[in-house]
Amino acid sequence: MARMKFLCDADRCIECNACVTACKNENDVPWGINRRRVVTINDGKPGERSVSMACMHCTDAPCAAVCPVDCFYTTADAVVLHNKDLCIGCGYCFYACPFGAPQYPKVSNFGSRGKMDKCTYCSGGPEADLSPAEFQKYGSNRLAEGKLPLCAEMCSTKSLLAGDGEMIAQIYKERVVKRGYGSGAWGWQTAYRETIAI
Amino acid sequence: MSQDNKDARLDRRNFFKALGAGATVAVAPVAVTPAAAVDPGKDETKARYRESDHVKDFYRVNRY
Repeated sequence: MARMKFLCDADRCIECNACVTACKNENDVPWGINRRRVVTINDGKPGERSVSMACMHCTDAPCAAVCPVDCFYTTADAVVLHNKDLCIGCGYCFYACPFGAPQYPKVSNFGSRGKMDKCTYCSGGPEADLSPAEFQKYGSNRLAEGKLPLCAEMCSTKSLLAGDGEMIAQIYKERVVKRGYGSGAWGWQTAYRETIAI
Repeated sequence: MSQDNKDARLDRRNFFKALGAGATVAVAPVAVTPAAAVDPGKDETKARYRESDHVKDFYRVNRY
C-alpha cells in the first residue's frame, strides 16, 4: 500500500512561495491561515536554505494523540485527516505539532478560535468525495481525481515532491547520484565560487 | 446532654449512612457504561491515491 509523503529538496527551493499561493487558491483557504509555509534559515547569508513546510502526515501523529475529542483519523494512504464537525478548536494539536501545521480561523475579537484547519494532502475530508460540503470545509480532493497535491505539482524547480514515499525517495536518490547535492551539485561552484563548501 | 438527645443524634447518622449506601447502589449501573470513541467508517479511510497517467507524468518529469 502506497504511503503518501512530502519531500522538499532544500537545495532546489528558491523561496518563490508558489506552493503557498497554489494551496490557498486550490483549497479556498480562509484569510489568516496558511496550510503551507516556506521557512528560510540563514536568510541573506552564505548557506541560506529554504524549505516548504506543511502537515507532514506523521505515522504516529502527535496531534491525534492529544486531541480530546478524537477527531483525527488516518486513511489507508497514510494521510492524517480530521473531522471539523467534531473539532472543538481547543488548540491542543497546535501545541503538539512539531511543524506548526494546525491553524485556526479568528472568529471573534476576543481570541476565540474556530475549527482547526490544516493540510489535507489535497484529499478532502470525511464528507463524500468531491461534494460541495467537502470542498467548503476541507478544500479540493485531488487524490480522488487521480492527481497529487497542487503545491508539489506547481513547484517550478521540482523542489517539492509528493506521492508514494518509496517512489519520491527513489527520485531524490537518482537526483543525488546524478547531480550531487549541496556545494557538490552540478554547476554550484560555477554559479558561486570554487571555494564554496556549504 | 441527655440520653434521649444522644440517641436522636445516632439515629440521624444512621439515616445518612443508609442514604449514602442507597445512592451508591442507584448510581453504579450508570457509571459502568463504556465510553465510545468516534470510529471513522471504511469509506472515509479508504485509499484514494492511484497511479494514474497524471501521477506517472509527475514522477517522470521530477526525475530530471
